[in-house]
Amino acid sequence: MEAKNIITVRGLGFDYGEGWVFHKLDLDVAEGDFVAVIGANGAGKSTLLKMLANALPPTVGEICYYGQPIASFKDWHKIGYVAQNPMKMQRGFPISVEEVVALGLLKSGSLWRRFGKEEKQAVEKALHDFQLTDLRSRKIGELSGGQQQRVFLARAMVHRPQILLLDEPATGIDTGSKAALYAMLKTINREQNVTIVMISHDLELAADAAKSALCINHGICFRGEVHAALQHHHKHGYFYR
Amino acid sequence: MLEMLEMEFMQRAWLAGLIMAVICPLIGSFLVLRRQSLIGDGLGHIAFAGVAGGALCGYSPVLSAAAATIIGALAIEKVRTRLSDASDMVLAIFFYSGMGLAVIFIGLNKDGGFNLGSILFGSLMTVSSKDLLIVTALGCCTVLFVMLFYRPLQYLTFDEVSAKVSGLPVERLNLLLALLTALTVALSMRIVGLLLVSAMMVIPVACALQTARSFATTIMQSMLYGLLTVFLGLTISYYANLAPGGTIVLTGTALFLLSNAVGSKPAPKQTAPHRCRICEEEEKNHES
Repeated sequence: MEAKNIITVRGLGFDYGEGWVFHKLDLDVAEGDFVAVIGANGAGKSTLLKMLANALPPTVGEICYYGQPIASFKDWHKIGYVAQNPMKMQRGFPISVEEVVALGLLKSGSLWRRFGKEEKQAVEKALHDFQLTDLRSRKIGELSGGQQQRVFLARAMVHRPQILLLDEPATGIDTGSKAALYAMLKTINREQNVTIVMISHDLELAADAAKSALCINHGICFRGEVHAALQHHHKHGYFYR
Repeated sequence: MLEMLEMEFMQRAWLAGLIMAVICPLIGSFLVLRRQSLIGDGLGHIAFAGVAGGALCGYSPVLSAAAATIIGALAIEKVRTRLSDASDMVLAIFFYSGMGLAVIFIGLNKDGGFNLGSILFGSLMTVSSKDLLIVTALGCCTVLFVMLFYRPLQYLTFDEVSAKVSGLPVERLNLLLALLTALTVALSMRIVGLLLVSAMMVIPVACALQTARSFATTIMQSMLYGLLTVFLGLTISYYANLAPGGTIVLTGTALFLLSNAVGSKPAPKQTAPHRCRICEEEEKNHES
């Protein structure tokens, strides 16, 4: 049975006031898919992800989650989001790993709710799953890039989302940690059936982890199988090394 | 010590000072970590314009200061949201505009009729019972607000974009925080002095940042540093016969230097059994 589309994008376009970053973008993401978004720097990949995360309103077009327009979508607990380089400018921020992970439990409607046993167990599980138990009391700014990305992934996953939106999750981390991170994402997608939309410049690692790809280059979009998207990227984009 | 507390005006000064020692760092923790350390000062200057404008138009200086500060705080918040990378610049613009307006209003006011100094730089030693009630009510509102919204406030202070993505009403929370900051500045500056309000929003938090290792301990420690600052400052000012506001602020500065010298201990090294060379090198580079 074919998986149903849970993210639908129609005629999406964004303009910062200097012409279209991209225009008339259509995208369907099926449940359980792992979409790698690739393309040259400045092609609009992060802009697209911010719009998918409802952090930026589109200039034109429509985004729907589970058939519901994003403006009226309420089930944000189904979405997990990790921004690009989330610790930029925040090195000295006094917050522990455990506190960051617990923030992921806050969703719309949970403003007044106090954390009980269930929430504490969810945090413990996320810390354990992402091998952060020993680091729980450390300030996040003291961790390495790879460890920080695990913390942000744990925050995004602590409320068991059905969709993960990741903006270059491997930025600024070493090669070994990158491979481990992509392997972790692959496991999350394959074993927990979490749908992932991920921007990446690590073409080989992304090609191995993802099931399909979206390539955006100079307003030309290609959606399809990973290797075909890579060929499109090599043809139309600047090959990122 | 007991002799100092026998006098009624000193009792009120102590109570008002200790309440300020809790509420200012409590709000200040969120402001400092959002890089808005100077907002207390900036709002004070807007209040200055409010007082001068109120005197010119014949309105109560406290009410006009409160109105100007609230409008200023909400406007700062709106502009900060649009220019999030330049929040210090936004503050500076409001700061100078407030001063400019105040100077114009004072120039236009030929009758005088108000003591700007006492309104802007009130003293702990002149706190009345009514003033104490206002500070107590403000303290209750502040503590209640932070208790109710602690985690959402923590989220938007640490990562505003992700807090918004998770569906939290970030704009409304920001406006509430701005409103509470404005009320704290406007209502307290006449009672304890603008210098003390804005300094107590920053200095105890700066002390806590040298020693705290989590968000919760930063808030707790900043309140403890605030209480210690007021306790030592008021005691010194009484026995040395110095101005209480200035003495408290300088005591806070001394505590900051002390906490900075003690500093936060280096984090314990990770003892994971299998560390690859690349990870170790990356950590070394990160530390250096």
